[in-house]
Amino acid sequence: MTAWKETVGGRRALTILRSRPFLTVAIVAAVWIVASFVSRGFGAYGHLRYLVELAAVIGLVAAGQTFVVIAGGIDLSVAAIVTVSAVSLPLLSWQADPTGLTAVLAVLALTTTIGLVNGLGVALLRVHPMIMTLAMATFLQGLLIIIAGGSAVTAENPLVRWIGNARPAGIPAGVLLWVAVSVIVLAAMHATSFGARLFAMGANPLAATLSGVPFASTTLAVYGISGFTSGLAGVLVLGMNGQGYVGIGDPYLLASIAAVVLGGTSILGGLGTYAGTIPGAILLVTITALITVVNASPGWRSILFGSLILGLLLLSGREQARR
Amino acid sequence: MSTVGSSRQAGALYWPVQLRRNVGVRGLFAVVMAFLVAYGFLFPGLFTASGFAKFTQSWFPLALVAMAQAILMLTGGISLAIGAMVSLGAVIAATTMTGPLGVAGGATAVALTGVGIGGATGFIVVKLRLPAIVVTLAGSFIIGGAALLILPRPGGAIPEWLSDLLAGNTPAAFVLLVLIVLLWKLYLATPLGLSLYAAGENPVGAYRSGVPVDGARVAAYAISGLLCTGAGLFVAAQTGSGDPIIGTAFTLNSIAAAVLGGIGFLGGQGTMRGALAGSLLLSLMISVMFFLGFTPVAQYVAQGLIIIGAVAIPQFRKVQR
Repeated sequence: MTAWKETVGGRRALTILRSRPFLTVAIVAAVWIVASFVSRGFGAYGHLRYLVELAAVIGLVAAGQTFVVIAGGIDLSVAAIVTVSAVSLPLLSWQADPTGLTAVLAVLALTTTIGLVNGLGVALLRVHPMIMTLAMATFLQGLLIIIAGGSAVTAENPLVRWIGNARPAGIPAGVLLWVAVSVIVLAAMHATSFGARLFAMGANPLAATLSGVPFASTTLAVYGISGFTSGLAGVLVLGMNGQGYVGIGDPYLLASIAAVVLGGTSILGGLGTYAGTIPGAILLVTITALITVVNASPGWRSILFGSLILGLLLLSGREQARR
Repeated sequence: MSTVGSSRQAGALYWPVQLRRNVGVRGLFAVVMAFLVAYGFLFPGLFTASGFAKFTQSWFPLALVAMAQAILMLTGGISLAIGAMVSLGAVIAATTMTGPLGVAGGATAVALTGVGIGGATGFIVVKLRLPAIVVTLAGSFIIGGAALLILPRPGGAIPEWLSDLLAGNTPAAFVLLVLIVLLWKLYLATPLGLSLYAAGENPVGAYRSGVPVDGARVAAYAISGLLCTGAGLFVAAQTGSGDPIIGTAFTLNSIAAAVLGGIGFLGGQGTMRGALAGSLLLSLMISVMFFLGFTPVAQYVAQGLIIIGAVAIPQFRKVQR
């Protein structure tokens, strides 16, 4: 008559049930079930697929953000980097390459470089991440207006259009991209020594450095990854939209941070997982969709959005007191 | 007898201690002075009564939000809702002051809103133990939404005489700023004010020594809210009307000013005079770039570069040493 809790499998199941990512998944499931009863058509396969497709963009931005936050930093330039990617890609069109792959790679290299510059500022100049990335965002904002001149640019790139619109086997290509990135991110975070160093650095940077974690190169890598995934999100959002314009990335700053925190990652660093960020991103998109259903004025919509995030934080985002 | 002696001793210690607190910001003071001299040289209008009035008026709101951010950062907090609070203060002022409440009633409403929302934010952050950066980010949506509800598009009005008093050819802004700085000095002498630095520097140690840590932090949020909506009132008086998104730029600028002024992110490090000097430097930079004919776009680029440079260079020198 041993209780099921005592067995190894039972204990493992209990750990999963009590974990924060699972809590977020449960909230998403509950919201989806309630919403599909209340609002007709919400639970339809097409609508849910659309929600996940939208969540893919947030999920990609939040992938880099999760890395940065776990390593003890924060990246406030992700929105600007998404915009850089979505605006500069249409400007790069080479006739020689009919697939458009080179342009995409060039843009990803550019955004990764921007991320690396953030990392350089944080690691070598020791500027606080918040200041470094905010200043980078300000800088990019100015640069973008100089480059794009404030008008929308249409993407002629076939690869980008494919990513945004194709549905191999009924699943949007963007979602497939997200799944692939998620697998790589989770593996890098939890199954490599790089991942272990991240957690060590976020929990206690001094102890980590003294134990031989290369502070500078790890920080560089983390911000570089954030630049890369933000660039990828920019490509996806450009594909879905067809047009890039200054300001296209703006919603993704708050969304990425909220997804990370709602997924149970500590904003103080050293604690968390991308497995929580994934349902966090879906939850955010769901909230936004529900608010649109309510059909309120922009003021009320903004208030509802903020209040719901605050309420969810109360449910799942409490920081344990730790020193 | 001995108490008199010790209090006199404490009095004698006051100025040396204050001088010592200047050490970290001396370089900044020098840069600000250099900028001021350059500015006065480029635009001699600064030294006329109206030039001085205009200059302090353009600095005043930034000084207030820099103080609002600095108080929070001293206690180890931060707010990303500064801009939204400024907007809310502006729209409340613009919708109430010409109505039945009158100027006094409107100003009271602005002040109560600031203290109320600030205190509520503080309560959520401190008592419910949620991360300040995320709470205020979510709060900025709620507060910004409230501002949009009160005034969906720019409009409303501020009585003519109030605009003239605050933003006309009078040094009212400067006088107000001096008053606020004096009040800050007084506040630092109260029990809550004394607890401010302790609560930011070492909350656990302070708590064990009987310092009201939670009270000091919630009070800091409430004061910060009051300063923000006050800045909003002033901005509304400057423009003569309310605008639900007028404060947006203040969030970044308040953090930049506080950090330029040597306030640390971890709490307990920095001085208010530093934050004020930081805001003055930022304000000077913006006006000099404006007068030199930089486009707003180039201003963004330059501002980003200067902020990084100003923060990085002292840090870099410290690392080199």
